[in-house]
Amino acid sequence: MPELPQAGAAAPVAPVAAEPVPERAREQAALGVRLQGLRAFYGAAEQVKGVDLEFKANEVTAIIGPSGCGKSTMVRCINRMHEEIPGAHAEGKVLLDELDVYDPSVDVVAVRRAVGMVFQKPNPFPTMSVYDNVAAGLRLSSGRRGKEVRAKVEAALRGAGLWDEVAERLHEPGAGLSGGQQQRLCIARSLAVDPEVILMDEPCSALDPIATLKIEELIEELKSRVTIVIVTHNMQQAARVADRTAFMLDGKLVEVGATEEIFTNPSDPRTEEYVTGKFG
Amino acid sequence: MSPASSAEPPEESTEAAADAEQGEPLYPPTAPSAGEEGSQGRLSFRQQLLELQSRALGGLDLVVEQLDRVLEALAHQDVELAQMVIADDDRLDGRYLEVHQGILSLLALQAPVAGDLRLVAALLHVIMRVERMGDQCVNIAKLIPLSGHEPPVRREVLEALAKMGAQARSEVVQCRAAFAGRDVELAEDLVRQDHEINRLNREIFRMAIEIGEDPDTREWAMHMILVARALERIGDNAVDIGEQVAFVVTGLFREFSDSSHAV
Amino acid sequence: MDALDPTATARARLARHSLSAARRRRDGLARGTILGGTILALIPLALIVYYLLAKGLGSWSWSFFTTDPTGNTFFKSSSIGGVKSAIVGTIEIVTLASVISIPIGIGVALWLIEYGRGSWFAHTVRFFIDVLTGVPSIIFGLFVYIALIVGTGSTYAGYKGSIALALLMLPVVTRSAEVILLLVPGSLREAALALGAPRWKVIWSVVLPTALPGLATGILLAIARAAGETAPLLFTAGATFKTNTNLSQFMNSLPVQIYNDVTSPTNAVVNRAWGAALTLVAMILVLNIIARLIARRSRLA
Repeated sequence: MPELPQAGAAAPVAPVAAEPVPERAREQAALGVRLQGLRAFYGAAEQVKGVDLEFKANEVTAIIGPSGCGKSTMVRCINRMHEEIPGAHAEGKVLLDELDVYDPSVDVVAVRRAVGMVFQKPNPFPTMSVYDNVAAGLRLSSGRRGKEVRAKVEAALRGAGLWDEVAERLHEPGAGLSGGQQQRLCIARSLAVDPEVILMDEPCSALDPIATLKIEELIEELKSRVTIVIVTHNMQQAARVADRTAFMLDGKLVEVGATEEIFTNPSDPRTEEYVTGKFG
Repeated sequence: MSPASSAEPPEESTEAAADAEQGEPLYPPTAPSAGEEGSQGRLSFRQQLLELQSRALGGLDLVVEQLDRVLEALAHQDVELAQMVIADDDRLDGRYLEVHQGILSLLALQAPVAGDLRLVAALLHVIMRVERMGDQCVNIAKLIPLSGHEPPVRREVLEALAKMGAQARSEVVQCRAAFAGRDVELAEDLVRQDHEINRLNREIFRMAIEIGEDPDTREWAMHMILVARALERIGDNAVDIGEQVAFVVTGLFREFSDSSHAV
Repeated sequence: MDALDPTATARARLARHSLSAARRRRDGLARGTILGGTILALIPLALIVYYLLAKGLGSWSWSFFTTDPTGNTFFKSSSIGGVKSAIVGTIEIVTLASVISIPIGIGVALWLIEYGRGSWFAHTVRFFIDVLTGVPSIIFGLFVYIALIVGTGSTYAGYKGSIALALLMLPVVTRSAEVILLLVPGSLREAALALGAPRWKVIWSVVLPTALPGLATGILLAIARAAGETAPLLFTAGATFKTNTNLSQFMNSLPVQIYNDVTSPTNAVVNRAWGAALTLVAMILVLNIIARLIARRSRLA
């Protein structure tokens, strides 16, 4: 596993003087997220019914719950992807360190640069090479060019633990990698734009166990740089990877707490029943 | 469960205990508030867990059997009965290995969490205590032949020991019921009972000191002190099992008021 | 169960699952019928190719491609010329028509998919586009004739022919583009959006490049169709003999040239028509080959 660049060395080699998006020093912690009274609708149907939840900075928080409980919907509200679905809207507040991302003065596009997302099925852009895929985030969002991009691409690939495997193949199609590598490529793509938060929607469910383990190790390393929210069906994964775990049921938050607590001594009997497999 | 003043025949208590277990829910008797019937999922896992618990608690029944026999052997200086007790300890050791293996298997294959995990951890404690209790019975049994066929007994010491034995027995039966029923109050009551055993232990010690000058009698009295100690240890193990009951139910482990002050 | 021959049981079980004789006969019959139908459909195609080659190849010569038709159709002694102006004219008119119709067609398809999805307006637009694909090509020619020639009092011009052809191509391009664009997986759009790309960049940098092979195929087929249309050009581009690169004047084109030549009593001229037809087919073939090569470069997967 390539070692994670030290704090400070992870910053790109090129000078980062005049940036449109303010560059934060590596030593600084990432931002946390707080949901206040979040409700999400598909048309008239309410899927997320008033959730108050905090995702602490530089921690991994897992969201577990049975199918249809609204966890993916809730997470998609954080980077405002929910409203891309026709007829869908959200109410309430999503605070990225005191700034409500739903505030009318906030640019949606900027929110999505600060809050990255990795999807269930790896989706590298098929027409682009590995290099271009990772650079896509930079080019699509801020149109940077040249040397800066090169440095950031390498840093992102290193951060995703993929550099050693693809250094020789940067200009081959991104879709030619294995499933696990593709997913790490997608993570690198998200990392390249220096997000504060990375949302992961069941990132390992399409991968084999070894690839899954690599990504779990990666998550452990990444949390020193970003806040991570991971939605997972796999409770063992939540137990392995997350610092805190939140349990959702029917669009509501039932319980949230330290992962160890949730899995050894949950407070709510519904949580107990779900984690012990009595339903769900 | 009131402390029995005399030993009851082993079969009866085992039956009663088994009856108690049939209707016992695996989890705290309060109904789950989510409205679920209970174990809808992972049926075979639940069955395995129940089976494991029944085997572990069955170990306590075996301990009661052993205790009854060794107390009988003590009262009548029955060396052959004592030999049987020693030999039958193999059954308890076997039971220990069986439950231990079952626990490992469950942990490896089923990855229990939350309440299930606490139960499995508690069962490990229980079976270890069961094995110790069995060893204590063996210790008592080994002491019986040492005094020869016509030991210079003192009636008051033997009576005190019989009382201690009955107390210990009742504690074992009670801790079994507390665990099966997840009854924390019943478990905490064990502490009170254990005070009684400790008191008897100190009394026997005092009686032994004042037993007189005769060397044979004094030797016998020393052996009886060791018997008393073994019985007191059995009581402590029962209290430990009671602590596990609280752990399974509340998720917190705390020592009940320290009952390990033997003297 | 025959314990002595373990494969017998397996064989017996397998046999139960295989087709009965009757079904095998029916299967063979169906296959034969379909094969026959295929051959039947291929026969006219083969005949066309044969005739084209047989009658057209003879006319092909260096002068065929490099000289203009001279307009002499009666006198055997003077040369009849080649079809150079027609080729040039077809290329120019069709190119302009493509330049007009392709961006607009793709734009309409993009709007239908990305922005207007589900609205009643989008449904209406789609409906009318479907109608337009079925409109006879002569109508487009007439429309341009009325609107741009009679209406404005001006005369035939190459670019007016292009407009007519563009109108013809537009619904075809739109429809095929829409189909291809719908095939682009939503997950790609999502990924681009989640990276913080504005909508138009998602389309420009992700959706279009991914759809490019399919789009190219659809476009080239639309071009191929337009290149062969005669009727619209008759009333709009006019015809001339000399090579003319100015689109605002009369322009010759292969379909019109063929139309004029075929009815001529002179054999040589008729042969020239065949040669022109073969040329047209060859050009379309080349376009198709290019479309295939583009499609091979990347897949929509």
